Amino acid sequence: MSDSEFILELKDVTKIFPGVKALNKVRFQLKRGEVHALMGENGAGKSTFIKVITGVHAAEEGHMYLEGKEVHFRGPKDALDAGIAAVYQHPTTYPTLSVTENIFMGHEIIRGGMIQWKEMNAKARELLDRLHANFKPSDEIGALSVAQQQMTEIAKALSTNAKIIILDEPTASLTSNESEELYKIVDQLRDEGVSIIFISHRFEDMYRLATRVTVFRDSQYIGTYDVDKITNADLIKAMVGREISDMYPKPEVNIGEEIFRIENMSRTGFFKDVSINVHAGEIVGITGLVGAGRTEVMESVCGITKPDSGRVFLEGKQLNVKKPEDSMKAGIVLLPENRSTEGLILSWGLGRNVTLPIQKKLAKGGIFNDLRKENALSKKFLEEVDTKAVTIFDPASSLSGGNQQKVVVAKALAQDNMKLVIMDEPTKGVDVGAKAEIYAIMGELAKKGFGIIMISSEMPEILGMSDRVYVMCNGRVTGCLDRSEATQERILKLSMEQGKSDRKEAVQ
Amino acid sequence: MENRSLFKKITGSREALLTFVLLVLGIFITVLNPTFFSPVNIGQIFRNNALTMIMALGMLCVMLTAGIDISITSTLAFAGMSIGMLTKYNIVNNTFLLFLIAMVIGCFCGMLNGLIISKGKVAPIICTMGFMYIWRGMAYVVGNSQFASGEDVREFAEFGKDGTIGPYIILIVCYALFFWMLKWTKFGRKIYAVGSNAEAARISGINVDNTLISVYTMMGTLAGLAGALSVSIYASAQPNMQYGREMDVIAACVIGGVSMSGGRGSVAGTFLGALIISIIAKALPLINVPSIAQNTVKGVIILFVVIFNVITQRMVDRQNLERREM
Amino acid sequence: MAGKSGRSIKAEEKLTAKKLLFTWEGALILLFIAVNIFNMSISQSYTFANVLREMPKYLAEMFMVLPMAYILVLGDIDISVGSIVCLTGTLTCYISNAGAPFPVVILGCLGTGLLCGAFNGFITTSFPELPSMITTLGSQIIFRGIAEISLGGGGSVSYTNTKQIMPLSTKLGKTVPVIILVVMLAAVIFTVVLQRTTFGRSLYAIGSNKVSAFYAGVDVKRCRFIAYVLMGFMAGMCGLFLTAYTYGANTTTGQGFEMEVIAMCVFGGIASTGGKGTLVGGIIAGLIITLLRIALGQANVNSQMILVIVGALLIIAVLIPGIKGRFDELKKLRAAA
Repeated sequence: MSDSEFILELKDVTKIFPGVKALNKVRFQLKRGEVHALMGENGAGKSTFIKVITGVHAAEEGHMYLEGKEVHFRGPKDALDAGIAAVYQHPTTYPTLSVTENIFMGHEIIRGGMIQWKEMNAKARELLDRLHANFKPSDEIGALSVAQQQMTEIAKALSTNAKIIILDEPTASLTSNESEELYKIVDQLRDEGVSIIFISHRFEDMYRLATRVTVFRDSQYIGTYDVDKITNADLIKAMVGREISDMYPKPEVNIGEEIFRIENMSRTGFFKDVSINVHAGEIVGITGLVGAGRTEVMESVCGITKPDSGRVFLEGKQLNVKKPEDSMKAGIVLLPENRSTEGLILSWGLGRNVTLPIQKKLAKGGIFNDLRKENALSKKFLEEVDTKAVTIFDPASSLSGGNQQKVVVAKALAQDNMKLVIMDEPTKGVDVGAKAEIYAIMGELAKKGFGIIMISSEMPEILGMSDRVYVMCNGRVTGCLDRSEATQERILKLSMEQGKSDRKEAVQ
Repeated sequence: MENRSLFKKITGSREALLTFVLLVLGIFITVLNPTFFSPVNIGQIFRNNALTMIMALGMLCVMLTAGIDISITSTLAFAGMSIGMLTKYNIVNNTFLLFLIAMVIGCFCGMLNGLIISKGKVAPIICTMGFMYIWRGMAYVVGNSQFASGEDVREFAEFGKDGTIGPYIILIVCYALFFWMLKWTKFGRKIYAVGSNAEAARISGINVDNTLISVYTMMGTLAGLAGALSVSIYASAQPNMQYGREMDVIAACVIGGVSMSGGRGSVAGTFLGALIISIIAKALPLINVPSIAQNTVKGVIILFVVIFNVITQRMVDRQNLERREM
Repeated sequence: MAGKSGRSIKAEEKLTAKKLLFTWEGALILLFIAVNIFNMSISQSYTFANVLREMPKYLAEMFMVLPMAYILVLGDIDISVGSIVCLTGTLTCYISNAGAPFPVVILGCLGTGLLCGAFNGFITTSFPELPSMITTLGSQIIFRGIAEISLGGGGSVSYTNTKQIMPLSTKLGKTVPVIILVVMLAAVIFTVVLQRTTFGRSLYAIGSNKVSAFYAGVDVKRCRFIAYVLMGFMAGMCGLFLTAYTYGANTTTGQGFEMEVIAMCVFGGIASTGGKGTLVGGIIAGLIITLLRIALGQANVNSQMILVIVGALLIIAVLIPGIKGRFDELKKLRAAA
């Protein structure tokens, strides 16, 4: 192989975790000075792959060549020394420390046994200026926004004079303005001769930045393509393994009376003047960029957080929700966004997870747990959603993401007084097969006349499943589109209506 | 405007707040009893609290890594009793050597803590609780129901007796050393990194286990040093010495702004925290508050400081949210 | 939407002897037997009657093992309980010495404990940002401080009307001490509540994952508050019975109890990180340590040596899960490859 064309090359890399093969003989080639996108579904092995490159994980098999020479990293330090720096999906910053301390952690400037703080502060200032950052080296990281933290991480990568910078879903938590800033930074870095690996779920990122794209699926290498030569459909096919036209079994449902309404709800710093309504049998999609306030609105509806003002009506009656228990009693069920931290108790058995919200109802006299009743009920609902599990005592942590989500759904179904279901990113991190099943369940619920709110960032899902779509941007509802009028372009446009408060045209 | 920024400065940094509290306290006490700020009094404050102040440095490092060590006074007793017995039976009489032995014993005790916490993945409070019992028991065992009285350790006590500068020098050296280490060395950075975000530290190539082991070893060494100092200052070695005082050390750190969840805290803050506790102990009798109220006042101050901190933080968060445009 | 694949999920759990023995509680029962054999071998006077006679001295702490298990299951910690014992013991003496009738004395004692617990509960639930270690460190110092103030310069108080409190330290039918019966009753109630009721389940939910529990409608704030109140109440109970056996209190009463109680719980398999362990384990562990103390005392072993043994037991106990976990991981890794 010619050692000048590829700055980084990996061959037949395999990585095994207890119980799973996270990478199976994958390969990858990075040209000098290119921006290379790495794509694939959640769980395809991208993050593990990155950690192999950066020396965090040691691969069981395979070879890695840096500028044509084979290298073996024994730890992250080796990779850093070799000029490879990574900016991870969740910023791995030190929240209690200052920007300067963060940038230079691990490679402080030391002279005469003393850390040269003045010099480091000046250098940090310089790096931040280069990135056009609007914060100071002395600021504490924990108080900065995610975008600013990411910028700090990039500054950190630059401070090590990295030749290769890996960006792991850098735009996932950024607003469109911030993303645009990031694009400029990446362009600038590429012009300066840095090679960049860019992981993202957003096609727009890929089109805007990358020249080539490599796709992983199910821990395997699928292919590498030139960005301007591959079509959207082919790329999706490569990522999910089949065409996804049959994904959304949206049933025809007669939409009934209005059952749920939010009126002018506000919470300082999170959302303002939000009004949303839902009819019986209707699937209402709520979309917008991450951080637009979608989740926060629903958390306030369910009593997780307290709104400053606004009213909530269920079946015409105004609710007074102080804590989650109140909203559940009224018949509102929330399927939270993060299964592992909000939806389930991972160390618990499936059955117990399912019956936790209704344990008081099942208990003898409301006090003593009735194990037989609980087990029978959880068995029934777990089977109804077709969970892949052996017993109801299996710990939730032993299931795959998709099956965990089914347990969350079973947990919701078990609440027999349910009238409205709020599903927050119901298919995040769920494999394709399970996704279809979850959509099917949603369809069934709609048929039975429940109101359904689905928060989602995934455009196809929103377009495929919702009867109506609310779009939020920066804490406000910027539009409401009917199924017939909802298109990707219109939704995108509405979700970027930054800070225009007088925009009410489409709100119904 | 001027006032507001001053207020912000005081509430914004723990060190500034503590300095302010100290000043108010000092003025208050001096007004009530002008004799308080005599060199003798101040010297005594430091001498009587040297042990807490020294161990607070180790505890600062431990707490920076989001840990805690409640075995320190047991380690202190074990080390102190060991050298007390050594000098009582005239096996070792060299002061320097005795100090060294005490520190080596402490170092060993601390290292065991560190090994079990890092390699065995045991919660720090539980691991050190186990050793709290073990070393306290060992202090009794090495003494074999004996203790070393003033007679027994007379020569050794020369170092720390009233009026000598030995304890002060140790105190100053320790503080200078730790200030330098935490502020200006790579190792100091690692301690902050591990406590602030252990996962990030691991990813960026910091050996988290080794850092933890070093931190607990330092803590143990300081506890051993404090053990020797205790024997020297109080001219006796008893197996129950400093029983329960580990909470004072933790309290000094907490008042000094060291966060229990790690990554936040400074040598200056720790010093001020320890000083406030010490001054209150000394000052209460002088301003006609019976000394039996000492603990109550101390407890109230701890709760006040930590709750005050939470409330100001909530206010800051609220303000930040209100500033967000929509 | 019934399961398309018709897959059936088992809902019955078979309890085999092997499975039972492999739980921490099973291991503790074996250890319990071993400790008794060991005790008999080192001490001639380790007989049932003698143990029954000596046990009450140590049993007061057992009251606190029960609610401490709740607190630890929540993932919290309460290090103020030793001070609550001191404060309630002190006040009990003063109330009685002031001439109050016995029911008032008991009410005063338990009420004080309850109030202390409520104080802890209020602070920890109002400021969830603060670790309970810090808040109870503060109250630890305050509660003992208040006791010190009420004890005055002398630092101790005696219960002058000893006849009044005697009923608490008598033996029913001349053999079974009252305290044993009360401890047993409390143990049964606390165990049933923790393992069999919705409240107990909620405690485990909070300790396992506070956020998920909150989302599932568990009233986290109320559960934590109740646990602290129970803790205070039982610390009052401990103070009451301790006074009944010592006829007084001083500034060091109850010192170090908090750590002993926590040690018993942790040794019993209740992790300080929350959500794990059962009260059965905690109670057996408490018994093991108590019996060991009695026997070593009888055998004239240096009374402080017991500290070393308890500490070593604790460390070994907490190391075992980690070692086992590593072993399991290795096995899985081999299976995957």
